[in-house]
Amino acid sequence: MPVLEGKELRIVGFLCNWCSYGGADSAGVARAAQPTDLRIIRVPCSGRVDPLFIVKALLNGADGVLVSGCHPRDCHYSAGNYYARRRLEVLKQFLPVLGIDDRRFEYTWVSASEAQRWQHVITTFTGRVHALGPAPRFGDSRPLLKVADMALSALRPLGTGKAAALDELKKAIKARLPELECVIGWQQGYDGAHTVPLFAKTPEDVDKLVWGPFNVNNPAVYLPSFKGKKVGIMVKGCDGRSVVEQLQENLINREDVVIFAMPCEGTLDMARVSEKLGRYTSIDAVSCDEAAVTVTADGKEHRFCMADFAQGKCYGCTAPLAATADASVGGPVSVNPGPYTPPELALLDSLSLPERMQFWSGQMERCLRCYACRNACPMCVCRDFCVSDSRDPHWMNQKDDEREKLFFQTIHALHLAGRCTGCGECQRACPVGIPILALRQQISRAVGQLFDGYKAGFDPAATPPLLTYAPEEKNIHERDWK
Amino acid sequence: MMVGYYPGCSAGGSSADYEKSTEAACDALGLRLAEIPDWNCCGSTPAHAVDTELSAALCARNLDIAAKQGVTELLTPCPSCLSNLRHAAKRMEDAAFRARVDDLLDTPAAEKFPEVISVMQGIARHCDEQAIAGRVKKKLKGLKLAAYYGCLMSRPAEIMDFGDPENPTLMESLLAACGAEVVAFPLKTSCCGAAFGIPERAVTARLSGRILALAADMGVDALVAACPLCQMNLDLRQKQAEKAADRLFNLPVLYYTQILGLAFGLGPEKLGLEKLCVSAGGLLEKIEAGLKADESAASAEGDRP
Amino acid sequence: MRIGVFICHCGSNIGGTVDCAAVAEKALTFPDVVHATDPMYTCAEPGQAAIEAAIAEHRLDGVVVASCSPRMHEPTFRRTVERAGLNRYMLEMANIREHVSWIGKDVEANTNKAAELVAIAVAKLRGNTPLQAKSFTVNKRALVIGGGVAGIQAALDCADGGIPVVLVEREATIGGKMAKLDKTFPTVDCSACILGPKMVDVAQHPLITLYACSEIEDISGYVGNFTVKIRKRATYVDWDKCTGCGACSEKCPGKNTPDAFNELTGLTTAIKIAFPQAIPKKAVITASHCRQMTRGKCGVCAKICPTKAINYEMQDEIITEEVGSIVAATGYDLMDWTVYEEYGGGRYPDVITALQYERLLSSSGPTGGHIKRPSDGREPRNIVFIQCVGSRDCSIGRPHCSAFCCMYTAKQAVLTKDHLPESQSYVFYMDIRAPGKMYEEFTRRAVEEYGVDYIRGRVSCVYPDGRGGYVVMGVDTLLGKPVEITADLIVLAVGIEGSRGAAALAEKLRISYDSRGFFMESHVKLKPVETNTIGVYLAGVCQGARDIPASVAQGSAAAAKVLGLFSKDRLENDPQIANVDIRRCVDCGKCIRCCPFGAIEEVSVRGEQKAHVIETVCQGCGLCAATCPQGAVQLAHSTDNQILAEVNTLCRY
Repeated sequence: MPVLEGKELRIVGFLCNWCSYGGADSAGVARAAQPTDLRIIRVPCSGRVDPLFIVKALLNGADGVLVSGCHPRDCHYSAGNYYARRRLEVLKQFLPVLGIDDRRFEYTWVSASEAQRWQHVITTFTGRVHALGPAPRFGDSRPLLKVADMALSALRPLGTGKAAALDELKKAIKARLPELECVIGWQQGYDGAHTVPLFAKTPEDVDKLVWGPFNVNNPAVYLPSFKGKKVGIMVKGCDGRSVVEQLQENLINREDVVIFAMPCEGTLDMARVSEKLGRYTSIDAVSCDEAAVTVTADGKEHRFCMADFAQGKCYGCTAPLAATADASVGGPVSVNPGPYTPPELALLDSLSLPERMQFWSGQMERCLRCYACRNACPMCVCRDFCVSDSRDPHWMNQKDDEREKLFFQTIHALHLAGRCTGCGECQRACPVGIPILALRQQISRAVGQLFDGYKAGFDPAATPPLLTYAPEEKNIHERDWK
Repeated sequence: MMVGYYPGCSAGGSSADYEKSTEAACDALGLRLAEIPDWNCCGSTPAHAVDTELSAALCARNLDIAAKQGVTELLTPCPSCLSNLRHAAKRMEDAAFRARVDDLLDTPAAEKFPEVISVMQGIARHCDEQAIAGRVKKKLKGLKLAAYYGCLMSRPAEIMDFGDPENPTLMESLLAACGAEVVAFPLKTSCCGAAFGIPERAVTARLSGRILALAADMGVDALVAACPLCQMNLDLRQKQAEKAADRLFNLPVLYYTQILGLAFGLGPEKLGLEKLCVSAGGLLEKIEAGLKADESAASAEGDRP
Repeated sequence: MRIGVFICHCGSNIGGTVDCAAVAEKALTFPDVVHATDPMYTCAEPGQAAIEAAIAEHRLDGVVVASCSPRMHEPTFRRTVERAGLNRYMLEMANIREHVSWIGKDVEANTNKAAELVAIAVAKLRGNTPLQAKSFTVNKRALVIGGGVAGIQAALDCADGGIPVVLVEREATIGGKMAKLDKTFPTVDCSACILGPKMVDVAQHPLITLYACSEIEDISGYVGNFTVKIRKRATYVDWDKCTGCGACSEKCPGKNTPDAFNELTGLTTAIKIAFPQAIPKKAVITASHCRQMTRGKCGVCAKICPTKAINYEMQDEIITEEVGSIVAATGYDLMDWTVYEEYGGGRYPDVITALQYERLLSSSGPTGGHIKRPSDGREPRNIVFIQCVGSRDCSIGRPHCSAFCCMYTAKQAVLTKDHLPESQSYVFYMDIRAPGKMYEEFTRRAVEEYGVDYIRGRVSCVYPDGRGGYVVMGVDTLLGKPVEITADLIVLAVGIEGSRGAAALAEKLRISYDSRGFFMESHVKLKPVETNTIGVYLAGVCQGARDIPASVAQGSAAAAKVLGLFSKDRLENDPQIANVDIRRCVDCGKCIRCCPFGAIEEVSVRGEQKAHVIETVCQGCGLCAATCPQGAVQLAHSTDNQILAEVNTLCRY
């Protein structure tokens, strides 16, 4: 429905039935004059408010969204608002990366008796939204095409892993093979510069396993489909974190998976590699020294120094060897966790809010809706039941429009909040090279900052921060409504 | 180790012994105090009571001088100076306030001021208890002391950053490192009467008297002070307090730097002990007696086959 | 779907600032709306009759009423549509009074807003489905947690009403804090004499099962059908054999055991019966101080026990009980007053808590009822009472009043004079709060007849004067003067907080608690005994500070709630709850982890683990629905699709 032109802006409120809806009622009973913009959607509890409802509203024409629940400790359902507080705070920190001004979204607590407070809150919030004016419409802005600066320095020396004791690892794998359905790893693909997954069932299969900078895929993505069967998996540090996260979420059983780990020295950013190789007919040879890979394509040699051509995630990697493993070859590598902002996120950070909206508008124009990002994600476990193409619940329509496509990316990012290990498979799998990892990185950064540096994928026994709460949050503070 | 030093104006007068012993004790610990040039009064008690900006300007000038000398850590023995300098530095964090103070100064004050701490904190920061104990030549064994900080050193907590404002313990750790027995002195941050010593002598006599009486009842050999004004009220005016309380205290009141100096084996003349009104003679004898007892015990030990 | 819309004028309440006819006309353009009118008073009998008639006439299968708040009349209109043959949940309301007409006078804006609120109500209604409540049986047994006076009263009243009761007490004896008191205000009658008979009643009641030295390990289930696991701690004495003769305690050589019952004011033996009137009157060994158990040699009690009840190898035992309702009566503990450095932070032996003083006054206490200083056993002459230590003190985050300290301080000052006629008591107070029956009269007597010196003001500092006494420095704010008193004994009226472990118990009970560990009632005024978990009730100080009469009254009130609940043989649930689409569920367990009520369990469906909502436990908050990434959990009448329909109605480019 159209808003009252010139008079009102579109402000949507999600109010819990027990406290805030009652507070708004009390304000009405007290005849407390309020702006007329707000449209209240009554929900049982602030914990019912999936942050995606808010993004949906904001992407589709809302100028402001307000969520209000019971005061912490007063939740009718004991703890719903505690969960809401965490999730909504993460959302608030996420919105700017989409180019949405986070002042357009607020959450607060109003009890059923606080008529005055409600009047104050809604008057202040409406005033704030009016001061910001009508929300810029996503898709209206001219696309802005920018790429991340990949001139990075790594937290540790990157290399080709030439010296890795692969034979020793193979021996360890063979020793365990009889009890396993298969061992997931990498083998050489259609040429020396590509690998494909290998599901090794025999010792001869095991001999085909390879290790090196071309092992870009994350084999953990296959694990949940083997749930209930005992399998082995060969992992880099990043893959290992996905496995830990899957264990934490009960997607696989610890006793059913045997983890084989080696310290990784980095993997290649294949997008940049193919860009440099240009058009070619065949790869003639691939050779490695300690620091670089030399690829000969159509007789022409190209040298790829690992320090220059690694995947973005490798530069900031602090745990090249999976800590949770049943057989490890090679000692742990200690890396000082220095300050590091992933390149994609650094790019977004450097843009203004309108520029970010333009940026995503340009990127989403290129999205094919192929869902390769989802299919490559080891934490995306809904598979056939992804909300992107379901009718009930019907979160998205099938229209090929940038808003819907960005909304899908937001769904994926928010579903990964506190779970994403930053393996980057979504972005690597994207056939058109959209830097969608930035959205997940922003979520992970917010989660880390809010919850004492929590990082997904390190402790299988940890409770992910959005699935728990603290009655007093250390880093989330009630905003005052002055 | 070289640090900036702001003596404060009583150093040249009423607390010359504090000044002397501070320098001697720090010297013994290898802590060089570089007095900042051309310093002026911190404003003491009256200035900030009249005008916070003028008072801050006085301090800002000192801090500015120190900053331009390249000092990053400025030590001062006097709690009142410490309080004024730290208050001024805190207030100058407010841009509007700073602008008004800058107007009062010849040139705008330095952007970043040195950190101001007390000499006591400075000693503790640069010499741990082991270092102090290692420097001790005359162990103060058998000496029972009460540490008395006065009201300013630890208050207000958010400005002074001196540990628990009601129960600071820094001085105790220094004295204990010298081998003395330090009692838990409940009145360690109570008021001595301060400047009432001049207009309302009875008040100071009562308040100082309470502190002296408790120390005497607890059987200490000396009260150990850190503030020139406190020391004056407790030492110089002890007779007045005795008269008001109708009892004799005869309790020496030394600066902690004097105690440190004694433990480091420095001569009384280097520590200005002669300036004390209540003689520390008994105290010195007790130290020597303790040492002798120790020696004879040690030699007895050595005599044993 | 055929939807009827009714835009209520509510007289001029709505009609005054909303063009109701225009809203009704607009509503006819909304999808599925086949009928729309604007009655004057929809909730009045003719209004309701008109809805019923319209349902019949227009074959409506859903109704939107735009009127006052659903918090007011939703039940009314649900009954209306039900009378007309519709499912009661095929109703949605738009709040155009409290949220529209009463908060602004702009008719154009109000009319537009009302129409939009009707539009989202219609959008939501289109997703509604008929819901049926389920009924289930009630297990008519009650659990009472805590055997203080409130718990005792609740247990006795339930049992007298014919309900079997399980009473769980953490300590070795029931009686709680009241058993430790010497006398009670304002009558100054003996606490043990009035509580003792009640304790004996508990022991003798055929319907009460008492577990002392026991704690709640785990609670599952829901109203009518709770399963409770109780950890019976090892007492190292077989209580079935123990006769309570006390011979073991007389001969026990481990005489340096801190005496918890006496609030650590004295020492006792490693094996002992808590106090002479203890219920159950059974011995317990303190393992940490038993010579046999720490050093492996002694065994005196085992030798002396005439019934061979001693068992040093005893282990904790877990007992499972099934009950239909739970009363929490866990009482309080004193806050940790040693944060107050100005009172010595716990370092001065003669600065004690009022509860410790109570033990010094009691003839069953460590001093046999003679007031003696803990430091040197001397009789004190000057006694200073400091009130509000840890109450009404925002500086340490405790703004609440502990409610009974004013009265017991007056009582203790009176008793002090009785014990030591030569003594002088001083009370530092903030305000005297004596609102109970005969309370004000009592405090006046303390001042007027017993000469207690009441000083209005706080104490800034207590310190030993070096001569065996203590100097108490304070201020008299009425005279505006500092006060200094030399005291021999200082008694602190220490503020209270929820019993230690209250928070953990609240998590097990799934009830809310505040930052001081007090349990939250359902409504502060109108539901002071209920909690937000149906079937769990509160009694006594666990809910907030109160004195003995109020605790006893609330114990009875909780029992009345239990008896009321058990008067029905079957209960009905609210069908607006979550349900799982098992095809979409991948068993990631996120919903199970979040559910505040433990209402989701894992079940095996054709060999696969799936989440399953226990209909009778689910309260319908929808947290699980917001948590499930693939939308497998949906909350009836607040489904993703329904909320999306509302959002999409409002926000569309």
